[in-house]
Amino acid sequence: MATANGPPPGVGDFNRLGGEISMMAFDELLNDPVIQKYLHELVGPKGMPVAAAPAEGEVTDEELAEELGLELNDVRRALFILYENDLATYRRVRDEDSGWLTYLWTFEYDNIPQNLAEEMERLMQALDRREEYERENEFYLCEVCSLRFEFGEAMDFGFECPECGSPLEAMENDRLLDAMQDRLDELEDELNADLGTISA
Amino acid sequence: MSATEAEADLSEEEYAALELVRETGGLHQSDLWKELGVSSRQGSRIAESLTEFGLVKRSEAVYKGHTTYFIEPAARDLEFSLLMASDMLSPFIGEEEIDPNSDAFSQWLMNLAYEDY
Repeated sequence: MATANGPPPGVGDFNRLGGEISMMAFDELLNDPVIQKYLHELVGPKGMPVAAAPAEGEVTDEELAEELGLELNDVRRALFILYENDLATYRRVRDEDSGWLTYLWTFEYDNIPQNLAEEMERLMQALDRREEYERENEFYLCEVCSLRFEFGEAMDFGFECPECGSPLEAMENDRLLDAMQDRLDELEDELNADLGTISA
Repeated sequence: MSATEAEADLSEEEYAALELVRETGGLHQSDLWKELGVSSRQGSRIAESLTEFGLVKRSEAVYKGHTTYFIEPAARDLEFSLLMASDMLSPFIGEEEIDPNSDAFSQWLMNLAYEDY
């Protein structure tokens, strides 16, 4: 950290934040509710204050903790999750006086669209594989417990729900299949891809 | 500058090029300028400015024996809401493996099929 002797060379001005963390650079991205959900999914509720207010330029974990009024551990955890998802990078700088290492973090939210594009491809693959399963199996439903069984399972249970004993009813999954096919078409169209061109 | 703001500032030719990239889903720079009916030099300039605006992604490619660029729409333009089923995000986010038979995905699919009801 900066000491009475001033920050070590190359660390830059730690007072840059000046009491506010700017999120101007990524405003448009962060206004997208899907992106908000995405970040929340990654870092969880405790990490969300960190993920939702990306600083412009470099920032230390201590600065963020102080600025946001959070535990240092929660800040670090969130930063490392962002790092693992290519959404933050750091460089280490050694304070020549104390010998301590300072981590200077940079938010890399420009990578969010690419990450989400990859998630759309993964979702497409999952839909494709699941569709086959839905098409090839017959299903039985316990309407009381909202549990679904494959034909073989239902037969093993004598067509009675193992939880509550209610009779299991044959369940059409046409509607599910239609919804899956629609979403698959939309994804293919949006990604200009068919499944053959996407690497697993 | 945001992608939408950038779009408003495009020249007529740049806009036509962007439309072409979006319609085709991506094409080589050498085909781009031929389609637009401009010189290769103009085509290169157009592709450069669209890249700078973040509206397209440009990567080096060898095509018909020549080194050129492949130009495709920037990911920024995609409809990310396709990851949602009602208010549930794709369950594969943050997961290493895709399990198409997981309970979480079943829940997502139920939301997808019955979200309007």
